Amino acid sequence: MNKIIFFGGKGGVGKTTCSASYAVYSADMGLKTLLVSTDPAHSTSDIFEKNITDTITNIMPNLDAIEISGEKESKLYMDSVRKSLKNVVSPVIVKEINKQIDAASVSPGTEEAALFDKMIDIITEKVKDYDRIIFDTAPTGHTVRLLTLPELLGGWLETLISKRQKSVSLMSMANHNGYADKSEAEKDEVIKILKRRLDKINLAKKIMMDEKLLSFIFVINAEKLPIDETVKAINILEKYNISVDGIIVNKILPDNMQDDFWKSKKEQELKYLEIIREKFKEKKIFKLPMLDEDMKSDNIGEIAAKFKDFK
Amino acid sequence: MLDKEKLKDILENLRLFFGAATDFNRKSRSMLFKEAHNEMDEFILLCFGDILGIPIPTTYYSLELLPLIADDLEGWQQRMINRLYVWEEKWSDYGFDA
Repeated sequence: MNKIIFFGGKGGVGKTTCSASYAVYSADMGLKTLLVSTDPAHSTSDIFEKNITDTITNIMPNLDAIEISGEKESKLYMDSVRKSLKNVVSPVIVKEINKQIDAASVSPGTEEAALFDKMIDIITEKVKDYDRIIFDTAPTGHTVRLLTLPELLGGWLETLISKRQKSVSLMSMANHNGYADKSEAEKDEVIKILKRRLDKINLAKKIMMDEKLLSFIFVINAEKLPIDETVKAINILEKYNISVDGIIVNKILPDNMQDDFWKSKKEQELKYLEIIREKFKEKKIFKLPMLDEDMKSDNIGEIAAKFKDFK
Repeated sequence: MLDKEKLKDILENLRLFFGAATDFNRKSRSMLFKEAHNEMDEFILLCFGDILGIPIPTTYYSLELLPLIADDLEGWQQRMINRLYVWEEKWSDYGFDA
């Protein structure tokens, strides 16, 4: 398994259960592990029965966890923008800008972007301190969009930088009798900010496309919709060169079913397992049984131990 | 008969007239300024088009540029909304005002 692992999948399939128990498994194996929950539902705290916050919290030996939220990160960012506005003199403009910030804070892409930023920060800052970083992500569509963001952003930033450079150098030519002072473009604060962003995005792209560093694991159930959705998601991710390593089929029913309802359920499951084998034949497939009680901090170790066969 | 002082005056005026009429430097400077401002307007449009109602998916990232660009924002918005002004400016590109 790679150093950075993303757990994804349709809502309700058991991403949080799987990522949490896999994190415990990694920690038990002696790997220093960080579990990052990005799902707004934040059930990780509930599983470990511990208050996990947005600062890294130790859960058990070798295992730390953190919960991050797009909402909170975007608020922090907006506040920092507002703070740096104090240099702007005109109160009319300040009012206009505050309106602009308020509008942005409710626009659809904002929390996503903020979350992505934070994830990149965690990866780049913590990759040296941990042997494994596990991300419990939000449901599929959201995550796929999140991971394809760098592609979109990179192009846009490059356009902006070249526009701004052109404008600054024209201005410099006008001021120096037709000769552009190259250092002016380097000193320009706007270009500095944009370049910093671009560097970060490129680093993220490099990490995400490194198939030896980052991989994706999809959690599904032996049912139609999760299978279909995962096929689509894998196609998109692979188009963006993000490698998908394995499939965890969660909530597998026990073999010896008694009454008719469960017997027919089990039959259907076997049919879908066949389809799963067919559709994901190049991927590692790992089956996890349905539990007879909720996973909590006292039984998570048992479930974690099952992952020893998932390689 | 022109006296010396008057002749000097006329010559000085002539010099100023031809000097200004042939001052390509002044004109090219104003063209460079104009071009720089055009680029700047386009830059702001790419960052904050949503102020004009054009959806920009990357608004979140341009927000941190706001404090630096704030002072240009008002003029930009007026230029963009008042198209007549844009035409006027484009018209002057052909040098009729020089």
